[in-house]
This record gives sequence, structure tokens and C-alpha cells, in this order.
Amino acid sequence: MDRSLVTLLTKPDGFFLNLNTEPESLGVPALFVLTSGLVGAISAYLIAGLTGKMMSAIMPGMESITGIIAVVSAIIGSFIFWGIVAGVFYVISSSFKGTGTFNRCLEVVGYGFLPQVIGALVAAVYTIMTVPSISVPSLSRSVMNDPQALNAAITAFMHDPAIRMVTQISAVVSIVFILWSAYIWVYGIKEARGLSLRDAQLCVGIPVLLYIIYLVYSVTLA
Amino acid sequence: MFGKSICFGNPSGISKPIALVFLILAGLAALTGAASAGTAAGSLIAAGENVYVSSASYDPAVFFTGDTGTVTYSVTNGNANQSITVNHASFGDSNIRRTSTTYDATASIGPLQTRDYTFSVIADATDGIYYPKFSLSYFGTQSVWHQAKIQVDNTPLVLLVADKPDSFTLGTKDTISVQIANPRKNDVKNVILKVSGNGLEPMPGTTFIGKLASGDHTTVNFTVTPGSESVMNLELDYNNGDNLHTVTTTLPVVFSTDKKQAEPVISNIAVTSSGGVYHVTGDVTNAGLLTANAVTVTSLSPAVPEDPYRSYIIGALKQDDFGSFEVTFTADDAESVPLQLSYKDKDGNVITSQQKVSLSGGTTTVKGPAAGPDMVPIAALVVILLGAGGAYYYLSRKKQR
Repeated sequence: MDRSLVTLLTKPDGFFLNLNTEPESLGVPALFVLTSGLVGAISAYLIAGLTGKMMSAIMPGMESITGIIAVVSAIIGSFIFWGIVAGVFYVISSSFKGTGTFNRCLEVVGYGFLPQVIGALVAAVYTIMTVPSISVPSLSRSVMNDPQALNAAITAFMHDPAIRMVTQISAVVSIVFILWSAYIWVYGIKEARGLSLRDAQLCVGIPVLLYIIYLVYSVTLA
Repeated sequence: MFGKSICFGNPSGISKPIALVFLILAGLAALTGAASAGTAAGSLIAAGENVYVSSASYDPAVFFTGDTGTVTYSVTNGNANQSITVNHASFGDSNIRRTSTTYDATASIGPLQTRDYTFSVIADATDGIYYPKFSLSYFGTQSVWHQAKIQVDNTPLVLLVADKPDSFTLGTKDTISVQIANPRKNDVKNVILKVSGNGLEPMPGTTFIGKLASGDHTTVNFTVTPGSESVMNLELDYNNGDNLHTVTTTLPVVFSTDKKQAEPVISNIAVTSSGGVYHVTGDVTNAGLLTANAVTVTSLSPAVPEDPYRSYIIGALKQDDFGSFEVTFTADDAESVPLQLSYKDKDGNVITSQQKVSLSGGTTTVKGPAAGPDMVPIAALVVILLGAGGAYYYLSRKKQR
């Protein structure tokens, strides 16, 4: 039984071994979720700043407003995502006659957020490096009063090569690190819910696969 | 027996006594005829007093000097049961000179009938009022004389530029308003306005106005798109009777700046180079007083526009409004490239201007990877990681205890 972070990332089966013999603790998992949310908020803040800059000509201070909304959404969204993932795993594992409490399920899912912290870190570094080179057109008042012109301007902005690159890289990073998290969640759910390895793989694999399909769909059709 | 004596086939067979009687009868007949002829002549002289000129008309009503036209006199026989025989009619004097022949053929005018006598004339006189004579002779010694007023007036139509733009601009369509007035005492017809000039595109170039009554006026609007500075010729043709007259005026077309026109100005230019493709961003602000429609920015040679922004359409910019643009292009070994800014005015005229953008320093700034990332997010990232690390250490130690 090795509770180090390296073991969690590389040999989660060893990390979660005999987890049920210990009292439930959501402190460290919550820390992971909060950290992933805060790091992700940096990317969100930078991207939202671009949107705010587009409308700064009409609404001065829009950059700050969109930035704050993005940061708060990213942090709260991480916790919501944590709860949803745990809930989904809990429900699906119940169909496999899984045992164990929801809090234990929440705990192992939270531990699985550690790769998300690394992923958010990579995405944040890439975003920090890329955003200064993105040119943002300021929308004029007349464009804001013309829905068609506004739609055309936003579409043109979203098809900016730099923006598309940021979106695509972020999607790839998300997919890579969600797979890493899934690897951890499989062993965590297996221990937390007393499932076989196969059942745990199904329990985690199906929702993760659907999520990845959703990500690919969003990026390719956006 | 008597009948047999009159024999046109054998006159020598007429006896002398019969011939004598014939002569006597013939002499009596001659005397009787002369007497009756004298009675008829007396009644016709009385009839001549009822012959009069019932109307006189002129075409044109008022002549220019040198104009040709026609004069028509209507002569009425006012007798209820007596015809008259006219043998001569004439008209004219040295001022209003007759150019057609006189009426010399004998013709009768029946009781209460009217006959027209028309003469071609030419006005040789200068401005003024004249009274040329019309004369009609009948029965050899009887005549009718008539004098009517004919006016010669050389006042032409008035052609005025009523409205024109404050300034002309190359390639800009402007509307010009022209007033045409007729100060003459008679109507004129076939009034046509023609507009021309080198390098000018008038629309319409010719306007048919038609008849213009005395003292009346009309306004004609047309547009002109100047391709170069020039002189606009306005020619007004009209007919006074059948005589063509022309009035001309000119309007200088000199380019100058429209004080109200839209004036998009490019500023805040930034140049980024990535993989051989230049990205030029900037703002366009309308510093004019009118709206600039369909504002478009594109790059010109030696630049070769590239996707995604071969040209950038900002749209309409009202007074003091601004919009950002971005254009992408390649430009091998070029020190600078011209950016073309075009917009449309309210009439749809496309107005273009160019501004050079240096691709190597100068007033432009270079953004992109070389500009470096913002340090605030990096600092936030470090703080978050340090805080998370510290919190993890604290929680781990607490759990171990």
C-alpha cells in the first residue's frame, strides 16, 4: 500500500489497495478538484478575455466581466463535474451490484482528478503562450445592432486559425488526460465499490468513451 | 319661213331686210346690256365695303431677329348674298420681309365666307414692335389695307444651375439641378437639355422637356460621375416657331474634398508574420460626418492575399464609429505593402484610399510569439501550484498523524 502521488498516477491499483480499511476522507480529492479548477480557470480567463475584448468598444470593462464569469464557472464547474462523474459511476456500478458508499466513490473519483490537474496545467501553458498572438476584432456599434453581421463576426473569430488551434489542442489534451484519469478511476471504483476489474472497466469506460466522442464531435463540427 | 332664213350653213342666202332688222336688234341689245352692266357695278362697290380682315396670326408669335415664320391673314366677305373677286394680296415691309410670292390669281370669296392668305416672312429688324402692311385688291380698284403688330424680341431662354454639390470627387456620382425659364412673350417648343464634358458621365445626357410656356419654368435633375477634372457643358436647344435656338452655359468640375463625406482612417496597425504569412490588424475609424457603408480592407500588390482574411469587411461605420480588421497575405521580399480601404457612400459610389504598411519595423509593431506571454497568468499558475502543493503536504501530514 503506497499512497504517494507517483503511485496514484502510475500504479493506481497499488494506491487504492485496501482503501476500504481506511476512513473516508475527501480533503485531498477536493484539493485535486479545486486545483484542476483553478488551473483550468487560467485558460478560461484568457479565452474569455478575447471575447470581452471583441465587445470592449461597445461595453467598456467587458473583459473583466467575462474573465470573472469564466474563472468562477471553471472552479464551480470542476466540482460539479466531480459530482456528476462520481454519480454516474455510482449509478452504473450499482447495476453491477457494487457496494460501498457514495462518499467513497466521490473520494476515488477525486483522486482521479490528479491527471486533470496536469492536463489543465499543459493547456494553461499552451494558452498563455498562444493568446498574445491572437488578433481580436473589435465589434463596432453598427455590427452589434445587426444580428447577421454580429453572427458573421463571431463565426469569423471562431474560425481564426489560432483560436481553432487552441480549441483543438485543448481537446486533445483533455482526451489524453481523461484517459489517464479513467485508468485511475477503474481501480478506484473497483476498490470503492467492490467490483471485478472487468465490471469496473465497463463502469468507467462507457461514460468516458461517450465523453470523448462528445469532445471529438464538438471540435470537428465547431 | 323666218326660221328658214337664218341659216348658219348658207349665210349668203339671208335677205337684206332681215339683216337690217338683225343689226337694229343687235344695237338695241348692246345698249340694253351696257346699261344693266352699269347697274351691277354699282351694287358690287357697295358690297366691297363689307370685306374686312377678320384675324391675323403669326408663327412664331414673337420673332428673334433672323427668324423665319409665317403670317396668316383671314379675309371675310361680310355680304350675305354677294361674292367678291380678289385679284391680288400682298404683305410685308423692310422690317418683316416677305419671302414668298404674292397672291395674284383671281379668286372669289363667297357670301359670308372667309379665306386665309399666308405669307412666309423673315424678321430682319432688331428688337422692337413693327406694323407691316397687308393689302388685298379686288375689282381692280378696290383694296383692303391692314396693319397688325409684330414683335421682334431677342431675349433667350434662361438656363441656371440651381443646385450642385459643394465639391466634386473622382468617381463619385453627384446630382445637379438645373432650372430652365422662359422669359419670352411667346411659348417655345422642343426644349432639349444636353449635358456633356470630357471625362464626365452624365445621366441622362439628354433630357427632353418639350413645350415651355411664356413665363413658365421647369427644373431638370441629372447625375454626373466625373472621371477627371473637366468643364461641364450645358446646352439648351429649343424651337421658336421652326427656328432652332441654343443657350449654353458651363460648370467647372474641379475636385475638392467634400466637407461632410465619410473619412475612414486606419490606425493601430500591427503586423505579425507567421510561416511566411503576414497578419495585419488594425482599426478603422470614421472621422467624417457621413456614414461609410460596406467598409472593406484588403491588401494590394506586391502582397498576395491569403486565407483566411483575403479581405476584411467591417460593414457600416457611422460618424465616430470604428471597427477592427485583419488581413492576411504573403509578400516576398517586400519592404511594405499597400492596404486598400474602400467604402460606399449613400449613392453606392465606391471610394477607395490606400495606405502603405511597412513590413520591417517603422511605425508598425510586431506581435506574436516574440511579444511574449502575459506574466500575470503565469504568476497565478505558480501561486496555485504552490498553494495546492502546500495544501497537499498539510493534508498528508495531518492524515499520517
